[in-house]
Amino acid sequence: MFQSPLSENRPSPGLSPTHILVKVLLKIMAACFNLRPSLRKSLESDTGWIDYSAAIKTRSGSVSACIRFSLGRASVTGTAPADADICLVFKSDRQVRRFLTASPTEQIYMILKNDFYTRGNAACLNLFVYCISLLLNKQQVKMMARERLKDRKQVLKSSPGPGTGLSEALKARAEERLTGNREDPGVRYLEDPYLPEFSLQDFPRLAGFLDSHFETRAEVCPELPELMTEWHRKNGYETDPGGKAWNPVLRKGHCYKYIMENRRPFIHANDLIAGTTTTKEVGVVVYPEGHGTMIWGELFTVPHRSLNPYDVSPGTREILHHKVFPYWANRNFKEWVREKYDNPLCQQIDERFAVYFDWKSVTISHTIPDFPKILRLGTRGIIAEIEDEMRGDTDEDRTATRQAMILCLEGLETYSRNLAAQASGEISGTKDPARRAELENLSRICTRVVSGPASTLEEAVNAIWITWVGVHMESTNAGMSLGRLDQWLQPYFIRDMEKISDPEGQKRYIRHAVELIGCFMMRCTDHLPLTPDFANYYFGGSSSDQAITLGGVTPEGDDGINDMTYIFLKVTEMLGLRDPNVNARFTPGKNSDTYLKRLCEVNLITTATPSIHNDRAIWRSLEQYNYAMEDLRNWSATGCVEPTLSGRHMGHTNFQMISLVAALEMALNNGRHPLMDWELGPRTGQVEEGAFSSFDRFFKAFEDQMRFLIDQSIRYNELLAEAHQELRPTPLLSTLISDCIKTGKDVTRGGARYNSSGAACIGLADITDSMLVIKKLVFDDRAVTFRELKEAIDGNFEKNPGLHAMVTRKVPLFGSGDPGAVAMANRITRFVHGTYNSYTNYRGGKYTAGFWSMSNHVAYGTLCGALPSGRLKGKPFTPGLTPQPGASDSLLDNLRDVAALEPENMSNNIAFNVKVVPAADESRERTVENMAAYVASYFQLGGMQMQMNVVTSDMLRDAMAHPENYRNLLVRISGYNAYFVTLNRDMQRELIERAEYRI
Amino acid sequence: MTTGTNTNRKALLGTADPPLILDIKGNSLDDGPGIRSVVFFKGCPLSCVWCHNPESKKRGPEISFSPDDCVRCNACMDACPAGALSGENPFYIDREKCDLCFRCIPACPSGALEQVGREMTEKGILDQVIRDKVFFDASGGGVTFSGGEPTLHMPFLSGLIQSAAGAGLHTLLETCGLFDREAFDTLVLPHIHTVYFDIKIVDAALHRQYCGASNAKILENFRHLAALAAEGRLDLLPRVPLVPGITATEANLSAIAALLLENNIPFVKLLAYNPLWTQKPLKIGVKDKFSSEKASQDWIPSQDLDRMERIFRKKGIEITD
Repeated sequence: MFQSPLSENRPSPGLSPTHILVKVLLKIMAACFNLRPSLRKSLESDTGWIDYSAAIKTRSGSVSACIRFSLGRASVTGTAPADADICLVFKSDRQVRRFLTASPTEQIYMILKNDFYTRGNAACLNLFVYCISLLLNKQQVKMMARERLKDRKQVLKSSPGPGTGLSEALKARAEERLTGNREDPGVRYLEDPYLPEFSLQDFPRLAGFLDSHFETRAEVCPELPELMTEWHRKNGYETDPGGKAWNPVLRKGHCYKYIMENRRPFIHANDLIAGTTTTKEVGVVVYPEGHGTMIWGELFTVPHRSLNPYDVSPGTREILHHKVFPYWANRNFKEWVREKYDNPLCQQIDERFAVYFDWKSVTISHTIPDFPKILRLGTRGIIAEIEDEMRGDTDEDRTATRQAMILCLEGLETYSRNLAAQASGEISGTKDPARRAELENLSRICTRVVSGPASTLEEAVNAIWITWVGVHMESTNAGMSLGRLDQWLQPYFIRDMEKISDPEGQKRYIRHAVELIGCFMMRCTDHLPLTPDFANYYFGGSSSDQAITLGGVTPEGDDGINDMTYIFLKVTEMLGLRDPNVNARFTPGKNSDTYLKRLCEVNLITTATPSIHNDRAIWRSLEQYNYAMEDLRNWSATGCVEPTLSGRHMGHTNFQMISLVAALEMALNNGRHPLMDWELGPRTGQVEEGAFSSFDRFFKAFEDQMRFLIDQSIRYNELLAEAHQELRPTPLLSTLISDCIKTGKDVTRGGARYNSSGAACIGLADITDSMLVIKKLVFDDRAVTFRELKEAIDGNFEKNPGLHAMVTRKVPLFGSGDPGAVAMANRITRFVHGTYNSYTNYRGGKYTAGFWSMSNHVAYGTLCGALPSGRLKGKPFTPGLTPQPGASDSLLDNLRDVAALEPENMSNNIAFNVKVVPAADESRERTVENMAAYVASYFQLGGMQMQMNVVTSDMLRDAMAHPENYRNLLVRISGYNAYFVTLNRDMQRELIERAEYRI
Repeated sequence: MTTGTNTNRKALLGTADPPLILDIKGNSLDDGPGIRSVVFFKGCPLSCVWCHNPESKKRGPEISFSPDDCVRCNACMDACPAGALSGENPFYIDREKCDLCFRCIPACPSGALEQVGREMTEKGILDQVIRDKVFFDASGGGVTFSGGEPTLHMPFLSGLIQSAAGAGLHTLLETCGLFDREAFDTLVLPHIHTVYFDIKIVDAALHRQYCGASNAKILENFRHLAALAAEGRLDLLPRVPLVPGITATEANLSAIAALLLENNIPFVKLLAYNPLWTQKPLKIGVKDKFSSEKASQDWIPSQDLDRMERIFRKKGIEITD
């Protein structure tokens, strides 16, 4: 039923002049490598020559050439062999010629738009790009600078002078602060829970850290991959030095211990928290068995790119190119699947970008470790627990897994001890007596934790941080989340406060607690995920998405708002960081208005955080899985917004991003995907041939296409999961997720008590609106034939302004307050949820559907033609499930419709964006009250989640042209936060075009 | 300019017939406390030159045309039996020829042509408003009756207020003050929670000149409501639209301040002039002098606003938000 890409089927028209051009260029490249010793040297790794071949061809075969590097010599052939390590397949000669003169950024857009695709080893592609960069990096850097200059001129044209007072108005927001009532029973010590007496100026230490956060350029850190590579070169990967196949979990345990023992213990200057994730001030962590090799091709250019540039020292480049990457070129998730399963269709689809992206090709990570456990027991206590389980269990696999767990905990302990030694070692060189005392204290803390239980807030916070560093040395820094830190830290805060009797001392201690949490949140910014430039356009601006969850109820069901909740909110307000991603739970009927108003005030001051969740709707969405009530009450947001039952649940809540709209395009084209030009899906009927006599028949075609895509994406996830079990078990994480110790199973093999895999389904509003238009105009009103509508879509409505006006103005859309539109959206989510839910994952849990989009609504929109909804070709989809801006003039219609969606179908949560603008003459009190009223009403109507951007489009436009005035302007994309000025232009424009409601 | 509004008693008594409703606007934060829905009635006994809703003046239905929305598909021309539509006409619609059959409205795909004013029943209005009750309750909001002038339909309005109040909604009336007092006292007063009362011009001649009718009855009604408010029988808020050169003069504002003090109302709401309305008359084919004047296109500078507020504050009158 399914055919391969068209390239295989087209007859060869013979070789073209472009072919000759390509061949000549490859020959020049080969000559350079053969004749220049310095270049030749670059083909050597630590252990021998780097051999690979890269081919370039067109689908028709009019171009077909290959360069092969073997034993340090390059040679060129006039045909692309089938066994080339990597092959770039272009649509036609035109795209080849364009590629040859394109800038790196343009080349990224070419691959996104499927002007060419690649077949073969992705690491080799990056190696090939690196080799080209060796020859051309000076020109590439110049090209990038020119591009940046051109772009700058363009935005300045539309907005030449900085907007008057706009950035000042934003800054001034923090200067006015409401006072709060003390009405939450769990607040024991804060007289005014809003802590309005504090501002950032009162914490010079934090202000300094924040400044450095904005001013420090991130740098790629080679420490982790270098240590990993060292250990594996010595001890083997597939087999141990004795030639016996490694148990992957045990191998990971040994390797992890080596890493933790040998990584450098850093105490960041002036910090109250010990330890860092990298050796750099702000480090980019490279996980070679994940997507680390994706940066290979950019090692020269990454400092010069426009978006998220990182520094790469020549030393780092040497280590990565010669020592690290060659070892991992085949030992990473993607290539493991490609090799073992012969590049299956499900992987080919993923690598064409337009339909779905499976995150397991990068990492799992999305979960919440059981921090209370390590605070309660320390590593010693957990090791004792493991040893208990080991007694009397002779099973080889379980024993190896538990041994690996112990090795990891020992590694973590050693790192902590090394930090203690580092702290005391620094005392002698420190003159400032206050800092000396702090270092002494840190040394004491790190001696006690993480090996023993924490007994003070300082110990608890440091133990969490050290453990946090620990889990990030085991798996990628993307989506791993921190959980309910207010709940988990409150007992330590209380314990400390109880020891202080005088009110002044208590006040001082509260100030100290604010500073400590501030240091912790700043520490979380010390690392960034490795973002290939490609991902800047595909994902854009996302940091690690370390979600912190505040508020809600205790596992017993009591009001959970406490002193630490408000302390975290104060820090969130003062720092306005994009990451950690602060999520707030609100339990209607349990949590106070005082708390809700404070969430809104912090959102107003920071412009974009926290996002707010309705506990009751979340619970309703999760009821179907038979989770224990106490665990449901203990849920935390993960990555963006997704629920994980803290410490007991491996829910890989972002296993994929999938475009619902791709299925619609395929249903409109009888299974063919237009942009990919690929007869991919089942043949469900041709619109032009009158295949659809009723709306339901068309809806079924959509369902068939969607089912096909979901099926493929899940297949890929399952294969990647196997790769994870082989390449990257996570025994340390497993010790912090029940019941892995008990079952002796790694968390990647289903050791957790609860298991699931969560999808992010993108384009719900676009699909719903498109379906509404087809149903009403084609089938109900017969105002237009399906064929006419299809023709208009194919022509991007350019010749049909009347029809375009009709579809955008005359059909009640999702978000307009029309019950039919809500019913349609529910029909779609019910189907999508039902389809995912029919699959059981490799860990024995259910697949679940969520409706949020990170930033992929922009990229997927770029890769999509016009839609029946009237959305034009290449325009972004709406973020998450947000109604499109034209749906209604009234925000209430939006809120009511989104709240009417059935939570049961959205158990991986939603992201609902609302852009609100306070009126200039409104008092702070009234603005906050209005915001709280919207949230409370929306929740009462059943809404699950909402996130407000409190900015005007004018401010965003001003920031686009004058980023220097807006370095900290925070925006919520779909579930996560970003600094607006770091986003690509498409995403910036999408934010500007969102509906804006005055409040 | 037409000043042919009939202000005799009979006209002000209104009828029980459903009025034409211009629009029901949800999520208003400007027309009373909290989040509100505003029901705009069509028809007004005054004819103020600066009227921000010129389409609310006439009682009968009208057609409006927004050139910006028109996609020039010409579908409306085929639908029009009177041949009243053409791009050649100054405002697209030849209103001499148009007999308001409204057949062009469904034919227009873009909504550039719209019917202004629709008959709605009490239930129809209430059903739409009540959907937002949860927002009203969370914010202390409710429903506002505005216009036009709702009291032109006093019996209908009365029924509507009673059902809204019966459904637990806070009700608020925005009025120009020109209504029949006895009818108001029996039909509206017992049921309404809050009245926003516009005071525009105190000088009788100027009022007649700019608002198209005498203000004698308006001032009389104000005194009456103020007395009721003083007794605690009514929640009353006087509002003054600040129109540069017309209402926002030193003399007029001082006179209004004096009027408020006389009636023991030491608070007022000032509505700053908003020039964004000046394209609206063209849509219904009206080209009046005031909206096209240069001075009508500007916002009031903030120092002028401060000066105007001081006129009231000096006399101890509080400016409410």
